[in-house]
Amino acid sequence: MRTNRLLPLLAAGALVLGACGGGGESVDTGGGGGGGDDVLAAAVSAQPDQFDPHSTNAYASFQVLENVYDTLVVPNPEDLTMEPSLATEWATSEDDLTWTFTLREGVTFHDGSEFDSADVVYSYNRIIDEDLSNAYRFANVESVAADGPQTVVITLTQPTPNLLERIGAFKGMSIIPEGAADELDLTTEAIGTGPFRLESSDASSTVLTAYEDYWGGAPSIDGVEFRYITEPAAALTALQNGEVQWTDNIPPQQIESLQGDDTVELQTTPSVDSWYMSMNYARPPFDNRDVRRAISFAVDREAVAEAAWFGAAQPNQTAIPQDSFFHSDYAPFSPDPDQARQLLQQAGVQTPLTMGLMVTDEYPETVTAAQVVAGQLEQVGITVEIETLDFATWLDRQGKGDYDAFLLGWLGNLDPAAYYEEQHKTGGSNNYQGYSNPQVDQLLAAGAAETDPDARKAIYDQAAQLIVDDVSYLYLYNPDVVQAWAPGLSGYQIRADKAINFETVELP
Amino acid sequence: MVVLAGVSVIVFALVHLVPGDPVRLALGTRFSQETYDALRERSGLDQPLLAQFSGWLGRALSGDLGVSFRSGDTVTSLIAERLPATLTLAFASILVALLIAVPLGILSALRPRSVVDRIATVLSQIGISVPEFWMAIVLILVFSGTLGWLPSGGYVPLSEDPLGWLERLVMPAVVTGVVSGSVITRFVRSSVLEALGSDHVRTAQAKGLPGRQVFTWHALRNALLPLVTVTGVQLAYLLSGVVVVEIVFSWPGLGQLALQAVQARDYPVLQGAILLFAVVFLLINLVVDLLYTAIDPRIRR
Repeated sequence: MRTNRLLPLLAAGALVLGACGGGGESVDTGGGGGGGDDVLAAAVSAQPDQFDPHSTNAYASFQVLENVYDTLVVPNPEDLTMEPSLATEWATSEDDLTWTFTLREGVTFHDGSEFDSADVVYSYNRIIDEDLSNAYRFANVESVAADGPQTVVITLTQPTPNLLERIGAFKGMSIIPEGAADELDLTTEAIGTGPFRLESSDASSTVLTAYEDYWGGAPSIDGVEFRYITEPAAALTALQNGEVQWTDNIPPQQIESLQGDDTVELQTTPSVDSWYMSMNYARPPFDNRDVRRAISFAVDREAVAEAAWFGAAQPNQTAIPQDSFFHSDYAPFSPDPDQARQLLQQAGVQTPLTMGLMVTDEYPETVTAAQVVAGQLEQVGITVEIETLDFATWLDRQGKGDYDAFLLGWLGNLDPAAYYEEQHKTGGSNNYQGYSNPQVDQLLAAGAAETDPDARKAIYDQAAQLIVDDVSYLYLYNPDVVQAWAPGLSGYQIRADKAINFETVELP
Repeated sequence: MVVLAGVSVIVFALVHLVPGDPVRLALGTRFSQETYDALRERSGLDQPLLAQFSGWLGRALSGDLGVSFRSGDTVTSLIAERLPATLTLAFASILVALLIAVPLGILSALRPRSVVDRIATVLSQIGISVPEFWMAIVLILVFSGTLGWLPSGGYVPLSEDPLGWLERLVMPAVVTGVVSGSVITRFVRSSVLEALGSDHVRTAQAKGLPGRQVFTWHALRNALLPLVTVTGVQLAYLLSGVVVVEIVFSWPGLGQLALQAVQARDYPVLQGAILLFAVVFLLINLVVDLLYTAIDPRIRR
C-alpha cells in the first residue's frame, strides 16, 4: 500500500526534474498557435481591449488590427507619406472639394467575398452616422458615395489637404465588409482584407493565421501569436530564451546595454509621439507669458529626456520630429536659469512660487520626467509639487481644469494639423490650457486649407514659432520607438508611427 | 444573502464614487462631443444612478452581470475565462504555503528559542518583507534567463499541455506560496506552542502516554483550529487574485482583470469581480466553519 501511494509522488518528482533538465535549451513555447509551424510569437505589453477598429482606441488593439485590416491609403514605412493600399490612385477636382478614389481590383475579404466600393461607403458612413471614435476625422466630409464598384467619391465642405492622412493614418479607418456590424460581433470577430486573419483571442494571447489569398501575396509566415507580457524584464527574458521572437516591451534602462548584445537585435527610431508640459492659463501667474517663458528657460530638455527615457528620446522644442517633412528646427530656449530668474522678477512673481504638476502612472516616464523638471525649476525659485494620479482621475481633473500644470504626450500624429490645430487654436477641443493668439488662429486655418506642401510647411513653421515663443505648450521631446527581435529574423521594418506589420517577416 | 445585498449596494456606490469617466477613458484624448454623447448613451451611463443600480441588480439576480464597457464581452464570460487560472494558482500556492509552514512551524514550536526556531523566524520575516515583485523578477531572471529551465510566464490549461501547465505554475506558486507560508508559519508556531502548554497536554503527559501520541492527538489537533482559519483567510485572499504576481508572470487571473477594470473604470466588470470576491469569502467562511465542526466535537453539540 505504502509503496503504491509513493509512486505517483515519485512520478511527479521525476516530472519536475525532467522539466528542469532542459539546461540552456530554448523552452518549448507550448500553447496557442494555429495553422502551420512557422508562427511568430510576439510579446506585447497589453491585451487588446476589443477588435472593432472603428471603436477601439487602444494601441494594443491596433498592434493586432494592423495585420488584419486595410485602409484606402497607408503611411509609407520610410517617411510616412501616404501611398496606395486598397485605393490604387486618386484625383482631386479643380476646387479641391471632390476626391475620386480608384479601388484595387481582385481584393477579397477573409470570408472570400469581393471587396468593392460599397464596403468603403459602408465603413465610412458607419463611423460618421454612429459618431464612433474617429468621426472627427470626417469633420470636413459632406458625403461618401460609390460611382460603380471600383470608384468612391468623397465630397468635402472645404479643401482638406490632409484628407489622405485622415483616412489612412492608422487602422482606426479600416474598411470592413458591408453589413459587418450587423452580421458579426466586431468586438471579438474580424473579417478584413489584410495579410492575416483573426483566429482567436483570450486572456493570454491573440492568434492570427496567414490569409493565403491576400492581395499583396500570402505572408511568408503561417501566423502570429501576440502574447501579453506586461513586465518588461519578463518580456526581454522571453525573447532571450527563445519563447518569443519579437517584442516592443524593453526595459528602458537596458536599451543601451542591449545595443551591443548579440543575443537580441535591437533597433530604435525617433517616433512621431510628442511629449510636452502644459500650464493652466486660468491659474495665475501661469497666464503670464514671461512666467511661462521663464519656466521654458529653466527646463533642460536634454536632461529630462536622458532621465525619463535613458537617452532614448530626442529633445525637441516643437512638436514634429526631425525625420518628418514638417519638422521645424526652431529652438529658442537654451537652458538658462539666470534669464529664467530675471523673467520671473520682471513678471513681479514672488519666489518661491509653488506649481502643482499633474502626471499619471499610466505613462511612468512622465513621473520620472516630472521629478527632473521639479529639480530644475527649484533652482529658479519654483517649488514643484508633483501629483501622480491614475489616468482616469488625471483625465477628470484635466477636463475640469483642476491643475496648475501637467505632463502628457500626443501619440501617433502624422499631419501638422493633428499636432497643432485643436491644441492651440482659440477654443480648440484640446486647448485645455486656454491659449489664444489670433495670429496663430489665422495661420492654423490657412494651413488646414493650403494644398501646396511647401507653402503648407511654411505656414505651420510660422505657427509653431509663435506657439513655442508664447509657450502654449512647453514641448519636451520625441521618444524613440524601441523594438527588439531574435537575431536572424528578417523582413521586419521598425516604423516611426509604431505600426507593427508582420506581413513580410521571415523567421530565423 | 443579506451580506451579498449589502455588499452589492456598497460596491455600486463605491465604484461610482471614484473620480474618473469611463467614456473619456475609452475615447482617449481626441474625440468630438457627439462621439462622447453617443458612447455615453450606448453604455447606459446617461441614466440616473438609481436606475442604473436597479437595472444592474435586477439582471444580476438572474445571473446576468452586464457587459464590459471596454471589450463588449459579458462580465460572466470574462470571469469564467480567468477562473481556471486563478483557481490553479490559488490552490498551488496554498499547497506550497502549507508545505513550508506546517513543518517549519511545528519544528520551531517543539524547540522554542532554539537555533531552528530562530532560523524559522528569520526566514518567515524575510518571506513577509521581501516584495513579491522583486522575488518574482529574480526568479524569472535566474530560472528562465540564466538557467533557461522554465518559461518566463504565461498560462496553458492543464488539459492542453500538462507539462507546460506545471512549468508555468512553479514560479508564481512559489512566490505567492512563500509569502502566504511565512504568514501561516507564525500561526502554526504559536498555536502549537499554546497547545503544548495547555493543561490537558500536561495531564496526558502525566498519565504517561508516549510523547508521540500526546503530540499528534492532544496537541496538534487543538492547534489545527487556528491553522484552518488562517489558511482559509489566505486562500480567500489568493482567490481574489494576486495582482503583482499575475502581472509579472503574465498569469491571466482575476487580479489582472480587476486591475484593468479599475484602470478603465469598467464598472460592470469591477462590480462583477468584487461581487465574486465577496461570494468567495462567504463560501470559504462556510467551509472553515464546517471544518471546525469536523475537528472540534464541542462545536458539533
